[in-house]
Amino acid sequence: MAWKKPWGMTEGFLIGGGLIVVGLLLQVVLGPINWSLFAWPVNLVLLILLVAFIGLMYALRKRVYAFEWMMHSSAAVPCLLFAAVLTIVMGLLPQIKTGGVPWLSQMLSFWPFVIIWTWMMVISALAALNHLLRWKVKEIPFILNHLGVVIAIVAATLGNADTQTLQMTVFSDMPEWRAIDDNGEVHDPGIAIDLHSFTMEEYPDHTPKRFASDITVYTEDGDSVQGIVEVNKPLKVGGWKIYQYGYDTSRGAYSAYSVFQLVRDPWIFWVYLGICMMLAGAVCLMLFMAPKPVKQ
Amino acid sequence: MSWDLFIVFALVAVVLWALGAFFAWKERRKAVYVCTLAGLLVFFAFIVGMWITLERPPMRTMGETRLWYSFFLPVAGIIVYSRWRYKWILSFSTMLAFVFICVNLFKPEIHSKSLMPALQSPWFAPHVIVYMFSYALLGAATVMAVYMLIRKNKTTAAEINLTDNLVYVGLAFLTFGMLFGALWAKEAWGTYWAWDPKETWAAATWLCYLVYLHLRKARPSEWQDACVLLLVSFVCLQICWWGINYLPSAQGLSVHTY
Repeated sequence: MAWKKPWGMTEGFLIGGGLIVVGLLLQVVLGPINWSLFAWPVNLVLLILLVAFIGLMYALRKRVYAFEWMMHSSAAVPCLLFAAVLTIVMGLLPQIKTGGVPWLSQMLSFWPFVIIWTWMMVISALAALNHLLRWKVKEIPFILNHLGVVIAIVAATLGNADTQTLQMTVFSDMPEWRAIDDNGEVHDPGIAIDLHSFTMEEYPDHTPKRFASDITVYTEDGDSVQGIVEVNKPLKVGGWKIYQYGYDTSRGAYSAYSVFQLVRDPWIFWVYLGICMMLAGAVCLMLFMAPKPVKQ
Repeated sequence: MSWDLFIVFALVAVVLWALGAFFAWKERRKAVYVCTLAGLLVFFAFIVGMWITLERPPMRTMGETRLWYSFFLPVAGIIVYSRWRYKWILSFSTMLAFVFICVNLFKPEIHSKSLMPALQSPWFAPHVIVYMFSYALLGAATVMAVYMLIRKNKTTAAEINLTDNLVYVGLAFLTFGMLFGALWAKEAWGTYWAWDPKETWAAATWLCYLVYLHLRKARPSEWQDACVLLLVSFVCLQICWWGINYLPSAQGLSVHTY
């Protein structure tokens, strides 16, 4: 029977099913999630609420049995399974901006998907906190894996709306400061790019081998940075990362202009921190967490 | 070095690996290691030769990634053998490596494609190599799962333990591959995760193996459910590796289709 202590996986499946129903109701009432609403400072408020919520759950774990149970692997299994199934559905259906299968073709703004992933983050954070606060050296691998994934995914999700991606088309020797976003609106990124030369090398079959732009970037403070930008080698100036994005493909090496992508991602440090913790966690998974071998 | 010479190197390597597998049944350990390592050396010489000739790491086409997979199967096999002494593991890894070699021999794709700028990165080699090693380990775990499901009650604690170990190490490498990919994507495209169909399937596969790990902790006695889960996870892994090329959801949307 469900709901008899100690809770196991059955309760996890019931809670997961409940969360999906709640998500579906929200989807019907509110419509798909609009991620642009999460821009600063809304994301900061949400982060503080999330941390406070997790802290409170941890503090009440002795009084509320559900919070205690959430730290165990039997709570993790159904949650991960729900997340896996929803992610598989996302992989099977073309993900497009509009149309397709209602709700499921826009999985990233589908409430049940986001709620299940949030539940996963809360469970993982609670488990990490539990191991962190009864500190022992041998708890490090567990903490790295569970806290690392939470930091990376929460920072990536909440920071998404603060990420700016602009495109700038620059003609030779005509310094440019206007950049456009996905909707074609013009923005002033606060930097100007002067293109000195664009070079391109081709393979014998005329597919592009390498293309690069020699540029000088001017910032609003009056600084200037000179450098070469090419694919896989962006240039970092004034909070922006400048990527080689394209060129006039009809003219190839004789292109009169070069297209750059400007990306600003204020939350990137936290994503990288999470990723580094996960990498260290994966090393630990292999060396310390795998069960000791038993010989036949 | 060229693909014309592949048959020579591959056959020598397979014969050496088969000898190693034979000596494993005969319990002649030294001969097992000598033969298997010699086979690996011959096979790796071909990979290095291709790398030099192509002036790029041979990891671009499916045929080239199969090359690494064929290499890592005996590597995983000899590691498992050295720790658990299973007599059959090398026979199995040799057979599977042979299958992948045959696919390369009889279904040669366009092997000489040049490397497009986005793939010219120091992240390229580690990203593909750790993934292929992970696939080899998780493939071995899948075979263990089938073997255990067939033998049911005859399954020993040592076999379950081996399967767990293969998954732990395989998942660690799967994580490396995924995160190296994210770090690389940030340098190449300005975004570390774009939910490209290949990335979505990588996430789904990763989650499936995480379910396995947590299920083994939550219900250690229900190893048969865990084995079934390994089969499902491996299907996801195959879709992620090559299946998405045939999925309608990925057509024209993925930056990972070559």
